Amino acid sequence: MTQLALVIDLNVCVGCSACVTSCKEWNTSSEGGGGMVDKNPYGKDPTGTFFNRVQTFEVGEYPNVETVHFPKSCLHCEDPPCVPVCPTGASYKRKEDGIVLVDYDKCIGCKYCSWACPYGAREIDEKQKVMKKCTLCVDRIYDTTLPEARRKPACVLACPTSARLFGDVHDPMSEVSVAINERGGYQLMPEWGTRPSNHYLPRRKMKAQVTEESLNRIDNPLKKEEQRAPVSSDLPSLDDFLF
Amino acid sequence: MASQAIIFRETKDSKGFYILLAVLGAFLALGALAFFHAEHHGHHVTGMNNQVVWGLPHVFAIGLIVAASGALNVGSIGTVFGKKIYQPMGRLSALLAISLLVGGLIVLVLDLGHPDRLIIAMTTYNFKSIFAWNIILYNGFLALSAVYIWTMMDRKVKKFYKLAGVAAFTWRLILTTGTGSIFGFLVARDFYNSAVMAPLFIVMSFAMGLAVFILVLHFAYSWTGRTLGDVVMNRLRYLLAVFIGGVLLLEGARHFTGLYIAQKAGVENFILFEGGIYTQLFWIGQILLGSLLPLSLIFCRKLANNRVALLLAALFTIVGGFAQLYVILIGGQAYPLVLFPGAEVSSDYFDGAINAYAPSIWELMLGLGGVALALVMVTIGVKVLRFLPDSLSDAVADPHSK
Repeated sequence: MTQLALVIDLNVCVGCSACVTSCKEWNTSSEGGGGMVDKNPYGKDPTGTFFNRVQTFEVGEYPNVETVHFPKSCLHCEDPPCVPVCPTGASYKRKEDGIVLVDYDKCIGCKYCSWACPYGAREIDEKQKVMKKCTLCVDRIYDTTLPEARRKPACVLACPTSARLFGDVHDPMSEVSVAINERGGYQLMPEWGTRPSNHYLPRRKMKAQVTEESLNRIDNPLKKEEQRAPVSSDLPSLDDFLF
Repeated sequence: MASQAIIFRETKDSKGFYILLAVLGAFLALGALAFFHAEHHGHHVTGMNNQVVWGLPHVFAIGLIVAASGALNVGSIGTVFGKKIYQPMGRLSALLAISLLVGGLIVLVLDLGHPDRLIIAMTTYNFKSIFAWNIILYNGFLALSAVYIWTMMDRKVKKFYKLAGVAAFTWRLILTTGTGSIFGFLVARDFYNSAVMAPLFIVMSFAMGLAVFILVLHFAYSWTGRTLGDVVMNRLRYLLAVFIGGVLLLEGARHFTGLYIAQKAGVENFILFEGGIYTQLFWIGQILLGSLLPLSLIFCRKLANNRVALLLAALFTIVGGFAQLYVILIGGQAYPLVLFPGAEVSSDYFDGAINAYAPSIWELMLGLGGVALALVMVTIGVKVLRFLPDSLSDAVADPHSK
């Protein structure tokens, strides 16, 4: 069975929020996207609906601190706790590709699914008054009018550092499965037993070895010029021979 | 001494009846205004947000629903357990149960994102959802309570009185189990996910329902000039004390268990010691004002047979019940989700931060509208049908009292 998912490389995510804005742009303006409301977007306490947010954490204590940008959206769990709690079945998981979706026409806006999600991935659209979440851009990944390379979630296409990979995590040969296997991809809070499909690739400590030699090249041509014989106005120069 | 016959009679037409309806009508109008305001402008006009998704309307709704199932208890004690002194109050008990449930449901439904899609909720069931089960349980409770009233009022179906009473009592236990399980089944939040939520809600319903019943019974009798003796009220007085004790026992068990479990220790510490308004509501609202004060008012020897003390005890029990629900509902949501267990986190999006919630005036208006609807139903109910015994004097209620 196919299970589409995102794999996010925390090692190269720079927290630029291009994935956030591209998500908002696509899911607000695309046909059938339905919009994501923003109330007071520029105020002191902005409110609005997002399918994807980049949460920035400071890790460690001074002076050993580092910044981790942590993009988080619906994790499309294989055993999603938000689905069984929905009284009308508006929240459902697709058999064909494992995407967890909300049927906006069946959602009564009781917000009980928001209680059930341990990842806080669901958000109420305060204008349309239905619960919303990441759809993995289901309306574009199957859009045959798009070139095949563009049939990916908007956030994946927008990421400038290619920190977001998209594919079938059940296919062991897929790009995402290989990345998970080779680079220690992990799930968020696996202890809940929800089996999130989205995975994160961990940050890797990169220690650069900087030596004196690498900073001062032995064969630096500029230095050779400095070492040339002192120039005297009494001696003939090249111009004397040429002219 | 032979017992006097219990005569049920409608309340008389009076100026007070219309004044009461006018006052309650004003609150109903405010509730309607709040609903249309949120419906027109969207839910951002409320204090609820993506972190605290259920707010004050849900406190009112669940409070009324819980009190509804508890209000039926007075009738059930008479019917199911054969306590004769309670039997004359069975009709009012069932009427109050229906009214409170309708009042609670109206708040719950009007606060939904799409109350217009209620028909979907009624016809498209996901039977894995406790919420869907609750829809069935609420409707069943209304139907069974109505049948129960019917068997009490119509001699032709009197033979089904016991059966209807047992069915309604059983159903109400299941109903409150369902209401408590809305929270008990929530594995994602540390403050909930516990089987004790179901029995806790049941005993909460006993206390809140009885407290509401005591107040309604007293004012229904005093405002219509009927006699209500101390025998009946003292029975209810000590029963209320037992129920308050039951709430304290299960609430204590819940918190001690939470403190014992490392995973829940954080949220327990928050609620019990560091939660600001939630800690104050717990200790001052629920424990001090909502439990210890009513118990003191009930058991103080100098206040024996003191009606005002009993009414205050009932009032503070309701205050404590709402404080408890506020702490359970909002306090549990205010505590942040734990994405990285064992780590102290803070981010630019609510991680590690206490989620803010300030109820808006619209939410309060909607909630009070639900309370008003329940009281309007009771007021009209006792006016048009024979719900109230003509007298509940000591001689009528208990011939052996003297």
